[in-house]
This record gives sequence, C-alpha cells and structure tokens, in this order.
Amino acid sequence: MPLVVYKNFPYTFVLLYQNMKTKITSDQLDELIICHKCHTLHKKVSITNGSKALCKSCKGVLYHRDDSLIEKGLALSITGLILFILANAFPLIKVDILGQEQVISILSMVVRLVESEYYIVALFVVYLVFIFPLMIFLIYITLFFLLKTTKKEQVVEELLILLSKIVPWNMSDIFLISILVSLVKLMGMLEIHIGISFWTLTLFVIIDIYMTRSIHIGELWKIKEEIYMEPK
Amino acid sequence: MEDKRRDIYGAKMNSLEEEQLIRCPICEAVNRDQGKKNICRRCHSKIYQHQKFQTEKSWAFLITAIIFYIPANLYPMLVIKQFGNEDGSTILGGVIVLWEMGSYPVALVILFASVFVPLLKFLLLLYLLISVKYSLGNDSKVDKHTLYYITEIIGPWSMIDVFVVAILAGLIHLSSMEMVAGAASTAFALSVFFTIMAANSFDSRLIKGRK
Repeated sequence: MPLVVYKNFPYTFVLLYQNMKTKITSDQLDELIICHKCHTLHKKVSITNGSKALCKSCKGVLYHRDDSLIEKGLALSITGLILFILANAFPLIKVDILGQEQVISILSMVVRLVESEYYIVALFVVYLVFIFPLMIFLIYITLFFLLKTTKKEQVVEELLILLSKIVPWNMSDIFLISILVSLVKLMGMLEIHIGISFWTLTLFVIIDIYMTRSIHIGELWKIKEEIYMEPK
Repeated sequence: MEDKRRDIYGAKMNSLEEEQLIRCPICEAVNRDQGKKNICRRCHSKIYQHQKFQTEKSWAFLITAIIFYIPANLYPMLVIKQFGNEDGSTILGGVIVLWEMGSYPVALVILFASVFVPLLKFLLLLYLLISVKYSLGNDSKVDKHTLYYITEIIGPWSMIDVFVVAILAGLIHLSSMEMVAGAASTAFALSVFFTIMAANSFDSRLIKGRK
C-alpha cells in the first residue's frame, strides 16, 4: 500500500511507502483510503496544512488538508449563492431580431419549453441547471454553518448524504458551454448582446468547479467526526 | 468458498484482505465487504444491496438508453420556422451545417459531445458489463476501474445539445422566425439520463483484481 505525498506541490515532494504486511483489523479501516479513479488501496499519512495527498498509481488527488476549510467553504458558498441569484435575476443573452428585442434567462427558457409542450426537456433543464445547483449551495451554507457552530449532528449527516447524491447531477458548467455554443450558432445571423447574468453565471461556475474539486465529501465526513467527538 | 480462502491466510493474506475492502460510494469510507448486506459504517447507507441482480439493473438502464439514442438521431433536434418554411436539423445535420459555416471548433465540440461521448459510454458500459460476467480472454491488463471512472466523468457532456436547443428555442420565438425544440431533444435527454443511471447502478465490486 503506497502513498505518495506531494508537499506543497510543485516545489518539493516526498515519497512515502507503507508496507502493510500485517493484518488489517476493523479498527484500522479509518486509516485507509481507496482512490476514486483507480481503486488502489492506500494508507493515509498526515500531511501539512495546505498540501494534498496524491495516488501512487494514477496521481489523482486522494485528500487535502486545509485547516480553515469550514470558513473558506462558508465564504465561497455564500458568494456562490449570491452570484446564482444574480445570474437568474437578469437576462443572460439579448438579441435584436428585426427591431424586436428578445431576452433569455434560465427560468424563461424553461417556461418556453413548457409552453411548447416539451415537458421532459423542461424538467431536465430546470433540475440540472436550476434546482440542483441552488440546492447544492443551500446545503453547503447550512452544512458549514452547522459545522462551525457544532450543532445538529443528525442534520449534518443527512445533508452530507443528500449532497453526495445530487453533486453528480449538477450541470451548470455544461450549461455555460452550451451558452457559448448557441452564441456561435447565432453569430452572423443576428445581433447579440451578452447580459449581466452571463458574467455572474460564469463567476458562479468558476466557484462551483473550485468547490467540487477542492472539497471532497469524504473529508467533510472526517471533519464532522472530529468536530462532534470533542465535547464527549 | 470465502471461508476456505480465509483459512489459508498465511502468505496470501495481504492481497486477500485488500480484495475484501470496498469504498462507500456515498461517503468514501473504506468498508469491509460483507457480501449480501453491506451497510456503510460511517454514513449507514446501503452499499450495493442487490446480490441477485448484480448487473441486470445496469443492463436495463443501458438498453433503454440505447433505444432512446436511435430516435434521438433520426428526428430533428431543432426546428427552424421561417416565413412559413419549416426546417428541422438532426444532430449530425447540425454538425455538418456548423462545419460548412466554418465554425470548426464548435462543430467538433458538438460532434464530440453528442456523438462520440454517448457512443463511447455505450461501448465502455457494454464492455464492463460483459467482461465482469464472462471472461473475455486475457483482459487482466485493462484497467477497468479507470474505464468506469471515465464513463462517470464524461456523462454530463452529452447534455450540451439539449441545453443549446433549450436556449435557442427560448431566445427566438417571433411570428416571422421561430425556433422550436424537436422530438429528438426529449429522446436525447432521456438517453443521457439513462446512461448516467446505468453507470451509477453498476456494481464496481464486480471489477476484481486491483493493481
């Protein structure tokens, strides 16, 4: 069971090999981690603040250590929620067709699909780019707030389970690429103006990608266990 | 069978123990594989509790997805109504139009997202589902965990075309010129949905032999 630790990548790195010839007992399971990408079994080692542990065989990130994860997460998720609200409050794109102005936002797009009786597509769009992103950020805010104040362990557990189920269905980033593709399709045909919401949506997607990449749900479980253990 | 293997611990014990550890898909905790009833020791969620239907669920979703993929390619994705004319374009038709317009990068993005990604996912899942049940010769060198990871990662990309249709249909609706979603958009969205479901319901315990 090897574990490679890149300390403050890319400046220095340390290789750590752990030879586990002894039997793995059930109380040692917490010290182990299985890589999400290639399913290689590793033994966890402690790393310094701000560094990350990488998988020996595929170089994927196994876990990070960030002592201020809760504060950072709370700040980022509140920013993300504000950006998401702004992204839905103003038009994304505006076009001029024969002197008439047409605007679009995520919700008006859904309304239009429902009007033309494409209910299934409308359902997919509203869930994948509106309900799930909104839910994820509301869950993050509640979660970090509860972790910060050390309250309601049961709720935290339920939120973490819910979070891991809906995170793979969040497609805001794909939606942003779709906007760019549609802009190219319309280019040359019409006069296009990019709305305020396009920029706020871009910022939202950046925060969203950063959060899903830097906050592993496994780490949140570990932090949760550490926090709620202390009072006992 | 398992009890016998446990008895001969000794030299082979290390690898045997490694095989028995599974990763909870919900909270990422390492658990000991108990066979039929696995409940994660950390988040208490059920882990692959369908011993009798190991691959059938995944097969069902995959076949549904493949069936939906056929109308998704035959029917128009986007219908443009202009001065009384109706002009529908299929996925491939749309790619060809973009290519002729000279927007090569966008044509490639659409070709990749709506044609290659779904086909690649079908093939990878078919391969995984067949290879875990029947031995396909010497495939021990193929890293199936990485293949499975790829199918999970590329899944959402196929939704690009559906979103583009939704945006265009929402943006352009005048009496003189109107864009409407076509029948293929529903089929395509359902196809993507069922491939993601097929990938999610695949029991990764069936992939034996870690490196």
